[in-house]
Amino acid sequence: MPEDDRKDPTRDAVEKEIEAAVNEQVSGLPPERAAALREKIRLRVREEIERDLRARTVSDRREAARLAKEARKKEKHAEEGDTYLRFNRNFRFQHMVMFSSVILLIITGMPLKFPNFILSRFVINFWGGIQHSTIVHRIGAGMLIYFMVHHFLYTILTRDGRRDFVLLLPKPADAKDIVHNIRHFLGKEPDKPRFGRFSYIEKFDYWAVYWGCIIMIGSGLFLWFETDVLRFLPKYALDVAHEMHSDEAMLATLAIVIWHFYNVHFNPDRFPGTLLWWHGRMSEHEMKEEHPLELEEILARRAKESAEVTNR
Amino acid sequence: MRKVAFAAVLVLLGGAFLPGLARDASASISLEKCTLCHGKPEFRKLLVDGQIRDLFVIGDTLAGSVHAKKVCTDCHFDVSEIPHREHPKRVTCTHCHYKGNHEGAPQSDNVLAYFDSIHGQAIARGNTKAPLCQDCHGNHRILKAKDPGSRVARVNVAETCGKCHMEIYAQFKGSIHGTALAKGIEEVPSCTGCHGEHRIYARKDPKSTVYSTHVSEQCSTCHGSIKIMGKFGIETEQVATYKESFHGVANQFGSRTVANCSSCHGVHDIRPPDDPLSMVNPKNVPKTCGKCHPGANPNFAVGKIHVDAKNKESGIIYWTATFFKWLTIGTMLALVAHIFLDMYGRTRRLRGER
Repeated sequence: MPEDDRKDPTRDAVEKEIEAAVNEQVSGLPPERAAALREKIRLRVREEIERDLRARTVSDRREAARLAKEARKKEKHAEEGDTYLRFNRNFRFQHMVMFSSVILLIITGMPLKFPNFILSRFVINFWGGIQHSTIVHRIGAGMLIYFMVHHFLYTILTRDGRRDFVLLLPKPADAKDIVHNIRHFLGKEPDKPRFGRFSYIEKFDYWAVYWGCIIMIGSGLFLWFETDVLRFLPKYALDVAHEMHSDEAMLATLAIVIWHFYNVHFNPDRFPGTLLWWHGRMSEHEMKEEHPLELEEILARRAKESAEVTNR
Repeated sequence: MRKVAFAAVLVLLGGAFLPGLARDASASISLEKCTLCHGKPEFRKLLVDGQIRDLFVIGDTLAGSVHAKKVCTDCHFDVSEIPHREHPKRVTCTHCHYKGNHEGAPQSDNVLAYFDSIHGQAIARGNTKAPLCQDCHGNHRILKAKDPGSRVARVNVAETCGKCHMEIYAQFKGSIHGTALAKGIEEVPSCTGCHGEHRIYARKDPKSTVYSTHVSEQCSTCHGSIKIMGKFGIETEQVATYKESFHGVANQFGSRTVANCSSCHGVHDIRPPDDPLSMVNPKNVPKTCGKCHPGANPNFAVGKIHVDAKNKESGIIYWTATFFKWLTIGTMLALVAHIFLDMYGRTRRLRGER
């Protein structure tokens, strides 16, 4: 065993040292007492040495693990290239607020749409009954409204927000991309369409959230403040709001769970999921695959900036 | 020896039987003896509260009832001498009506259900006003429940309950159910139709058939049945639309504060919506809704309450539902098609096809 080989020389040296020290101590004692003392000292010292060795091996192991992790990272870096910040911290925070609120809203809302489904009763009871699950639903609603306000301000007030909003507007090129991509799926085009910062898939997701938020928050507020709404509108307006709330919830849930999850988590490139929503970074490899035009722009901008710096 | 033993056995047996025979003979006080006093029409007693208790009983009193073949002391078994010195105790029906009795008296678990019910519990707590069997079934003229003359027959039971529950009886008589009952309509519920017969519980008791989360079930046993409602031209969709509404869903999930049928339509005073006294008459809707939605106004009555989005008559609600139905189907078909095309393309490329 290599580990024992490594230890042995240390142990031999130590043994010799102990031997010398013990001989010094026991000289002049009667032989039976000397033997007992010798044994006692030997045991104590061995204990001490073993503890030291044990501690050293643990820290060695940790160090080795850390190095291996770094090596893996380096290896991966060589494979995937630099990472690029795709979503800034503000945007990631908005997304997290939105998805946590949407999860809360779905799990407290869907049982009301399907009261006879076997899990509905369980979910409602998990929150402590209908009178409490409706409060949780309103907390989720509050979070979604906050997200909407935050995002409006983000779009208006920040440079990244304004840039992204403009880039997210649908353009005729998107229609071409759709046709191109479908032809690519069918094997009629050799290459994928080259997307910019936002592909038509992401644009669809963005505007779907816009539409969904307006419908859900609008009709939800109607249902929340039903008496105040009925002061101005007839009862059937509330029924329309109820119908919209219920139906749009279904559409949004299906779109998120099937479409959005497939595109960002469950497709074979990303399976079983991505942490992009957490760190906001994309590797060079992924950028080349999914947003080549944006990558080119970034690289061109960087080249221009460094050229400016050197020229200065 | 044998003769002596036989004699001893005889003596022992005789000793065992004779007192019994003697008691039987003395206990069977004949009807004629009772009617010596009770057969006089003016035989009555003035009670301490000023009420007069009629004690007039003749030989024909039991005739025609289910107990026609019984005599007085079969039930008033504590009367063993005439005149009885003590006031006879209240009759205990379970003296005969218990499981496995030898009298052939019909018996069921109803007596157990009764002792669990609000009335039986009140008796057990010592409430002397709470009803015993005879307070509802009658004392001397007991008839089978199916007999229209019986006090517990469907047509008469409301009056029987009303002896104690007077205000509720008055409300019920004016309600649609009460008036229909007076017309002799067979299907209409009387008190027992909703509250149960022996298993009557307080409405706050979760075992009750009229507990807030059980009311809709109880109403829908008739109002959900096309067979029954068809006879009277009443729609049955109210049951389904209620269950789909937020009120109905929350009720199914056990909310006790959300509206059930009787919150809006009334309890004993249910009237048809065109009746100006009805709680769901458009004129009264603001007040009815206002019980839970403070500040309710006449707008609450604009539009149907029991609205069915799948019904074309619902107008704009139907069109909204239809729009969203096709929007969802169209969008999801497109998105799922895109996903499958994506997977198809990936498979092709994995296989090395171009």
